[in-house]
Amino acid sequence: MNKRNLTLKKMVLLAVLVAINIILQKISFGPAYLKVGLGFLGLTILGYYFGPFWGGIGAGISDLAMASIFGVEGGFFPGFTISAIISGVIYGFFFYQKPIKIWRIIVASLLVTIIVNLCLNTYWLHVLYGLNLRAAFLQRVLKELITPWIQMIVIYLVLKALQRVKIVDKF
Amino acid sequence: MSKIIVGRYIPGNSIVYKMDPRGKILACFLFIVVIFLANNWLTYALITIFTFLAVIATGLRPKTFWDGVRPFVWIIFFTALLQLFFSPGGKIYWQWTVFSISSYGIVSSIYLFIRFLMIILISTVLTVTTTSLQIADGIEWILNPLKYIKVPVAEIALVLSIALRFVPTLMDETVKIANAQRARGADFSNGSLIQRAKAVIPILIPLFTNSLTVALDLATAMESRGYRENSVRSRYRVLKWTKYDLLNLGFFLLLVLLLIIFRTK
Repeated sequence: MNKRNLTLKKMVLLAVLVAINIILQKISFGPAYLKVGLGFLGLTILGYYFGPFWGGIGAGISDLAMASIFGVEGGFFPGFTISAIISGVIYGFFFYQKPIKIWRIIVASLLVTIIVNLCLNTYWLHVLYGLNLRAAFLQRVLKELITPWIQMIVIYLVLKALQRVKIVDKF
Repeated sequence: MSKIIVGRYIPGNSIVYKMDPRGKILACFLFIVVIFLANNWLTYALITIFTFLAVIATGLRPKTFWDGVRPFVWIIFFTALLQLFFSPGGKIYWQWTVFSISSYGIVSSIYLFIRFLMIILISTVLTVTTTSLQIADGIEWILNPLKYIKVPVAEIALVLSIALRFVPTLMDETVKIANAQRARGADFSNGSLIQRAKAVIPILIPLFTNSLTVALDLATAMESRGYRENSVRSRYRVLKWTKYDLLNLGFFLLLVLLLIIFRTK
């Protein structure tokens, strides 16, 4: 299959995964003092099935679709679309057509956490609201110290479970 | 989970509703850009006035906008507070180790508060007065120039509109699956964090297999109705510019001009 062109089936699958991603963004689990959103899971699935190129595009589309259905927390800003695309690309790069290994999950999660959540998103907040960089960083760092480890466990469990879903072979 | 509301569109009849989504998206997006121009009291006042004029022009009740802002009240407050304590400069009123309250800190946290609020209000105006399909069409138009750097815009537009169509369906599906699993003893709100993480799987995997079936069916249906990849198609939903967009963009241009004139160099 050509890397740039998707068949119609793949395209519809991508759309449905984007829809799943949007729903997952709206779901969180955990006790009230530590809510973990499931948005990362949708991006993982996009990367796992579509690779860096289309996974990235799918992540970008999810962000735009999210914005048009729900509106964005604190205003639409294309910086966050870029963040989503980069996360999709990273997950795609590590998971697409590769065996599921624990080190892959750890490295991918840490890369996304550090590059996207800590650096890029903090920078966007700085640009968008004129927030002091150090203050913005402090505000985020506490959560980002805890969530990646939970995310790794969920990613591992879900990818293992997805491997058992053979229906994807029809595409 | 069932409390998730799809779409924030509220039907109405004021002039904001008659504006073209492309114009509204552009104005909303550029508003976030021009807000960077504001750097003194007068320019922040201008931005506030512009935002409130837009809010009033929608003709909706204030409660609608309060609902848009309410989830972020604590974040805004907390962020402004951090900004207050971590921006030394100017006259210092109070200091303790790394924390300090200075005249610069007070002013910049008030600016930050205004900026935050205005950005949220303007995006609420956009999402409340425009249906998600209109926004998707608008986004497609705005993405069009990306064709020249080989971004598959037509495919993106198709994926976007199918995804928008399926979000409500899959949302219902998710609630149904969760209820079905609950009826057989699944517990999503108790246990350790790992147990809760595991509880996600009985929802996610059925959701996933169901959507794969949906995707296969839809692809077959589209092909049987004559959809071919890379073929030229016409458009049924066409966007039209109207005189209200002149008002929208003209008004916006006026704001930009005023901001450039009154900002401190």
